[in-house]
Amino acid sequence: MWLWFSKLGSPRWFYELSGKWLPWLYAAMVVFMAVGLTWALLFVPADYQQGETIRIMYVHVPVASISLACFPLMAVAGTITLVWRMKLADMVAKCVAPIGAWFSGLALLSGAIWGEPIWGVWWTWDARLTSMLIQFFLFIGVIALRSAIESQDAAAKACAILAIVGAINVPIIKYSVEWWNTLHQPASRISMDPMAPNPPEIWVPLLIMIAGVYLFFIITLLLRTRNEILVRERRSKWVQDLVRKG
Amino acid sequence: MKAHRKKKLSIILFIAVGLSIAIGLSLFALSNNIDLFYTPTQVAAGEVTPGQRIRVGGMVKEGTVEHNQDELEVSFITTDYSHDVQVLYTGILPDLFREGQGIVAEGMLTSAGVFQASRVLAKHDENYMSAEVRSALESAGVDSDGMSSGAY
Repeated sequence: MWLWFSKLGSPRWFYELSGKWLPWLYAAMVVFMAVGLTWALLFVPADYQQGETIRIMYVHVPVASISLACFPLMAVAGTITLVWRMKLADMVAKCVAPIGAWFSGLALLSGAIWGEPIWGVWWTWDARLTSMLIQFFLFIGVIALRSAIESQDAAAKACAILAIVGAINVPIIKYSVEWWNTLHQPASRISMDPMAPNPPEIWVPLLIMIAGVYLFFIITLLLRTRNEILVRERRSKWVQDLVRKG
Repeated sequence: MKAHRKKKLSIILFIAVGLSIAIGLSLFALSNNIDLFYTPTQVAAGEVTPGQRIRVGGMVKEGTVEHNQDELEVSFITTDYSHDVQVLYTGILPDLFREGQGIVAEGMLTSAGVFQASRVLAKHDENYMSAEVRSALESAGVDSDGMSSGAY
């Protein structure tokens, strides 16, 4: 297991392996996105309360849930950077921050677009919305911190600490709708019964969309990390061979 | 695992756990300020001073919505099923506003104990279903309250 761990830490090995994965991931993403989007936009029935507005959920829930996965991922990568000094972990941590910022921003934006017609306001300072906004700022903070410190090692350590501290916000976002009274609704309990609230005709396409957006996230992260590997290892022999090969 | 790595990892864990506890305690202490609105029970218990700008949240009580025929004035009772608050509002209501719906009203309590709202927001519950299923359920006589009470 330790051999596998140290092998995974080798940027070259990771570069070659992820290159083999990417075509499959692309294919799976296209399938899930095509099925999910078509289903969600054209075939999901209009909701009895909110009508066609329900379709916003098929974007909002996937981007929001992935944005919540980004901070723990960055914190785990940061811990590995601090304790084991694995080069690859810091590259992943660096590459996940802008993606997390984008997904948080999209969750806030799609939520506001939904909130205006349903709640009657674009924004309110309830616990869910505010904690999500804090997460968005934390991602921006991690990006700013990294670019503010010139030494790559010092930047890696500082960002790792901020990532670990900031990850405390994730359970706050998740449980905000249960701990406090908010305008945002709590998480739904899905039902197998087609005649009950939250039936399969509503959540099956949502699961497909979540899978599709997750694949998009993994692909984006792999592409960014591969790029970062090439930049940081540009003086190594294998990268120069790769460039010469064309 | 080597000794210095073990030490580093335990420092990180210690910081993370310590900070979580500190933040958890402060959030717990602040929970009244983090709540978006007061419930009718809190209003009845006198937690709200008249004239203070607050939000009150509850369900719109069945059969209490009265529209003024000439103006945009509306009066209704919001309830958490143990206490009621009378709300007065002049303005446009959100589309989702109806009897049995969760709402949040912004405004202030008058000394007469009536809540004068300057804005009314609709809450959406966590239940989604198609209009067809809903009307089928209604014609089958399923109690609609059992479903929507989860919203609050």
